[in-house]
Amino acid sequence: MLKIIPPLIIASGVGGMGEYLSLINKRYLGAYTLKTVTFKEKKGNLPPRMRSGDFYLLNRIGLENPGIDAFLQKLNDGEYDEIFSNTSVIASFGGDTLEEYIKIAEIIKPYVERFIAVEFNFSCPNVTQGGLSTMTKREAWMQTLLRIRKILPDTLLSAKIGIEGCFVEKAVADVRKSGWNCVTLLNTVRGLFIENGHPIAGGLSGPIMKPITLRAVYETKKLFKDIYVIASGGIMDEKDAEEMLIAGADAISLGTALFKDPHVVERIGRYLLKRSENP
Amino acid sequence: MENFSVEKQCVVKVSSDTYIVVFKENISHEFGQFVMIQTTSLTRKPFMLGTWENKTAISVQVKGHGTRNIVTCENKLQLHGPLGKAISIPSGKGIAVVSISCLAAAIELHNVTNCDVLIGSKRPICFNLPFRQCVKDSEFSKALKSTDFSLYDWYFISGSRSMENLVLKTIPNKKNAFVSMEEYMACGIGACKGCAIQTKAGIKHVCTDGPVFRGDILC
Repeated sequence: MLKIIPPLIIASGVGGMGEYLSLINKRYLGAYTLKTVTFKEKKGNLPPRMRSGDFYLLNRIGLENPGIDAFLQKLNDGEYDEIFSNTSVIASFGGDTLEEYIKIAEIIKPYVERFIAVEFNFSCPNVTQGGLSTMTKREAWMQTLLRIRKILPDTLLSAKIGIEGCFVEKAVADVRKSGWNCVTLLNTVRGLFIENGHPIAGGLSGPIMKPITLRAVYETKKLFKDIYVIASGGIMDEKDAEEMLIAGADAISLGTALFKDPHVVERIGRYLLKRSENP
Repeated sequence: MENFSVEKQCVVKVSSDTYIVVFKENISHEFGQFVMIQTTSLTRKPFMLGTWENKTAISVQVKGHGTRNIVTCENKLQLHGPLGKAISIPSGKGIAVVSISCLAAAIELHNVTNCDVLIGSKRPICFNLPFRQCVKDSEFSKALKSTDFSLYDWYFISGSRSMENLVLKTIPNKKNAFVSMEEYMACGIGACKGCAIQTKAGIKHVCTDGPVFRGDILC
């Protein structure tokens, strides 16, 4: 299982490729998840890409990333060395099709030792291909999970899943049956904003997500004590983190909270350390 | 780039909804750079750094509770920066055409380059500025028409998107126009890719490629 102290992680997407390291106290961070890298380069969606209300953020970034070949080139060139020298790193990957997920698993095999875990993003709501739609063909999805497990037999694999398409605990059951060790719950949920009379679709995050994430973590852990759950969605402070742990989370992942105050890492990290000293 | 706090020295009311917030501490920066300030809103908000009476300052237009909090709070402001690319101003005579919500930046540019400044404001300005100032859209349009922009070597434009487009249509050379762009920004450091804008050179990010862009690459 994931051995990080404190069990506090920066979520994929929000954290980019390590940019937040210069704004946070790394002593209180357990691991940093890189932005999802897909098989092919993605330019991302046309603007506008982000809007917010008091309790939510809606984004439609569209997984902007350079693609797996460029990512590995940069990794080989040492462009990400500073991240590795400062914290434990979790990689995040995605694709337009399930075949692309398998291809990525094959391509990254020689590199996985560098990461403490590898997350596969099966739930991005902001891409027209891949993302959330990968989980809709359940049998094919499960076959993909099995193939990836076979390609990467010793890697700590995490499936990032959402709440749409099926009950989250049923998806987790498939992940577990496929021999994966971990799930990241949740991704953003599909939402919509209207701007100048035009509907614009995106993924919802921020405080509004907290009860949804709590329920997903709770339902999952009620059935499966042995799967490592990273709670991701709506965690803004120490109280939110504590509630996620009560619901059964093994680790806390921070996303939107960083946009308000990067010091949140220190506050929650400090809290988690104290909690582990005085359980 | 750092995550730090600053104390407010004073707040100057410029119009009914716009203020200059002056900091006690000097924030070392180059022209065009900005800071992300924590507010009561869900994300930090970007403000271009400028000057007021030789102190680092920002202009704040109150649009909601987050910006109101920056103006009214008595606590230190939490922020990170300086961020974004500084702009290198060409030699020669320039003019800054800005809305009142960009006053602090315009003053800094004027101090550095001795450029002319034309200020537009939808609401009455509380005091006389040492610049040409016009209130209401009709007066601003008249000022644009009566200005011979061919006399200038470069232009700095900052305001609403519609105001910037109007000025860009008026000036003769977009290549020497420097336009400060606004787009919803969450991280300010190039991590989230949220502040994308479409340009003639493809997708650009306001926080890391800008916030100031050459007029000839804007769509």
